[in-house]
Amino acid sequence: MNDLDQLKELLFGAEKQALDTIAERVERREVRTVDVADILPEAIHQSHQKDAELVESLTQPVGECLQRAFRDDPQTYGDALYPVMGPAIRKSIMHALRTFTQQINEAVEHSVSPKGLRWRWQATRAGVPFGEYVLQKTMRYRVEQAYLISRENGLLVGHVHHEASKIKDSDAVSAMFTAIQDFVKESFSPDRTGRLESADMGDFTLWAVHGPHALLVCVIRGVPPKSLRADLSAILERIHFRYGDAIREYKGDTSSVPEVDVELERCLRFEAREESDKTSKSLPLPIIVLLLVLALGLAFLGVRNWTYSQQLEDLDTALAATPGIYVTDISRDGNAFEVRGLKDPLATDVIEVAKGVDIPAERIDVTMQPFQSLQPEMLAARAAQMFGQSESTRFDVSGTNLVATGDAPWAWQQRLRSEFRNLAGIETLDTSGLTASDRQRFADQSTASNQRKFYFRRGVDFVEGNDDELTNYGVELSALQEEAVTFGYSMSVTVNASTDSSGDAVLNAALADRRAVVAADILRTAGVDALVISQPVKLSGNDQPREDISQRYVQVELQLQSLPEQP
Amino acid sequence: MTQVTSKVCVVGDFAVGKTSVVERFVTNQFSEKYLSTVGVKIDTKEIDFPALGVSHKLVIWDVAGSDEFGHTEFAYLRGASGYIYVADGTRPSTLAAIEHLHSQITGQYGQTPFVLLVNKRDLSHDWSVSDEYLDAITRAYRNVYLTSAKTGDDVEDAITRLAELIIDNDMQGA
Repeated sequence: MNDLDQLKELLFGAEKQALDTIAERVERREVRTVDVADILPEAIHQSHQKDAELVESLTQPVGECLQRAFRDDPQTYGDALYPVMGPAIRKSIMHALRTFTQQINEAVEHSVSPKGLRWRWQATRAGVPFGEYVLQKTMRYRVEQAYLISRENGLLVGHVHHEASKIKDSDAVSAMFTAIQDFVKESFSPDRTGRLESADMGDFTLWAVHGPHALLVCVIRGVPPKSLRADLSAILERIHFRYGDAIREYKGDTSSVPEVDVELERCLRFEAREESDKTSKSLPLPIIVLLLVLALGLAFLGVRNWTYSQQLEDLDTALAATPGIYVTDISRDGNAFEVRGLKDPLATDVIEVAKGVDIPAERIDVTMQPFQSLQPEMLAARAAQMFGQSESTRFDVSGTNLVATGDAPWAWQQRLRSEFRNLAGIETLDTSGLTASDRQRFADQSTASNQRKFYFRRGVDFVEGNDDELTNYGVELSALQEEAVTFGYSMSVTVNASTDSSGDAVLNAALADRRAVVAADILRTAGVDALVISQPVKLSGNDQPREDISQRYVQVELQLQSLPEQP
Repeated sequence: MTQVTSKVCVVGDFAVGKTSVVERFVTNQFSEKYLSTVGVKIDTKEIDFPALGVSHKLVIWDVAGSDEFGHTEFAYLRGASGYIYVADGTRPSTLAAIEHLHSQITGQYGQTPFVLLVNKRDLSHDWSVSDEYLDAITRAYRNVYLTSAKTGDDVEDAITRLAELIIDNDMQGA
């Protein structure tokens, strides 16, 4: 040790020893660790008291440490957290159960009310369990307005509302609510600690959440769940956290509570499907049914009206097509029809025409004046009525010409010819198409009786019995002659006499005349008219005279001639 | 302009014209019909002070008339920034009631800006408050106005003065 070192030792010995000690503590890690461990708790405490820098510094590393520790050893931390997690889970479950119980209470409450019965029906219709449906309905609500009111003086600190909400003087509302609150507290709370927490007004519910310095009043449309109160309380707590002092000192200067409305806006976020339900809400079923019934009713009335109009048109067309009917006016009043006009008595009845277009008699009122129609159908019908008409005859009218066709008795035809002009509108008659089978039968019958011969024994003596036969024949001919007139015929009778060739020819001719006269007399006596005696028959082809009894006779011939028709 | 809102309470004995004074101030109307106020009635009115850059909205609590407040009435007064005392010039006892109410309020809520309106000035024939008494009151309370809710005389001036006093008071407080 030199002098300098000795001098240093003398001057700074104690300090040097201290420095050496400090150097040793700085350089030795274990010593430093002990020192830091000694002051660390106090240092953390002081730093945390000072500002939030320590928290910010530790947040990330502590978080990462915890994540790693949980991942590496979950069992240990699970065991450690068990005492905490149990109560936390129980609390959460209890909160959920309380909310659920509240909703069930509301469901039960609504189950016997008219609204509940209506919901029950709607739930059945929607195929949803009633409980679930009620929960859906009761969850519907919306916070329409939120007032933040100073508890000290009732002044409005902040106010927010949905744009559609009707707002009055919010300051007056705030003051009035405070006044009511004071009144209720002073009047009904013996120890003045009671608070007005809710009020119902029609569709709205007023909820007041009380804080130390302010009161949050929310106007809620619908039925809010009880859990909403906890949410609103959280918002009020947050507001107190940020503006507690400002609200306590609040004197009406809104600048002292900047952006408090932003916090209040959070209240308006609480709603449950109200908006979407409104937009998607369909018309109530009774209205739908009513509209449907109205639509069906209108459709029915429309169709019925169209049907009636169609029937009117059909009736008009049918009447116009019916001969002998002339419509002057046709109208409809509802389902009743009215027809006025002229009708030929022979025309089809209007009621029958109406039935043909499905209009019953009770729905039609007919007023028809009689008239005589000159339509061809009516003229033909009138001819048929006047003369009678069999199945084999018919009448047609063409212009003023009446055409009769078919087979008809001769007498009927004669009457038609004589009387057709009595029909108004008929000037001529065409019967070329008519036949008379009865007249033809008469002609045939006459032919069958023609050319009968009656024989003589000698001279003018008839073969026995022939004279009587001639008499009977004469009676028959007389009747035929009378009948012939009724069929438009005239019947003439010619008697031809004959002799044999024996004897003198002149005498024979005289004998023939005598035989003819005798026969004619017998016929005339029997009533026969129009007798003609012809020249004797001259025998030819036999030059040798001889007696032949077959040539000794008279032959009667009938001739039918049509009488001229009447003009 | 800065928006400021203040709670103002109107107090006074029965039938001194408190509601009429407020109606005159807020709507500039007057009704001869007397309707006793039950509980409290609330109106608002804004007064602009361009020189101060302040729009002052008064939330006026028209408290039911009483010569002595109970708990409920006192609850209504809590947090008021100013008072409008109203007395009836035809009934000196109402001024005495104001003195009593003022001492009650001051005792409960401390010194607060106020104006005193001795109302019904239009009823000059029935006026019963002596000038000496009025002078003494004016000296004691300073902001005393002889008003008529019926004619509107000095009503607006009085309440506007109160609004100014409140602003001044708040500024001093700040």
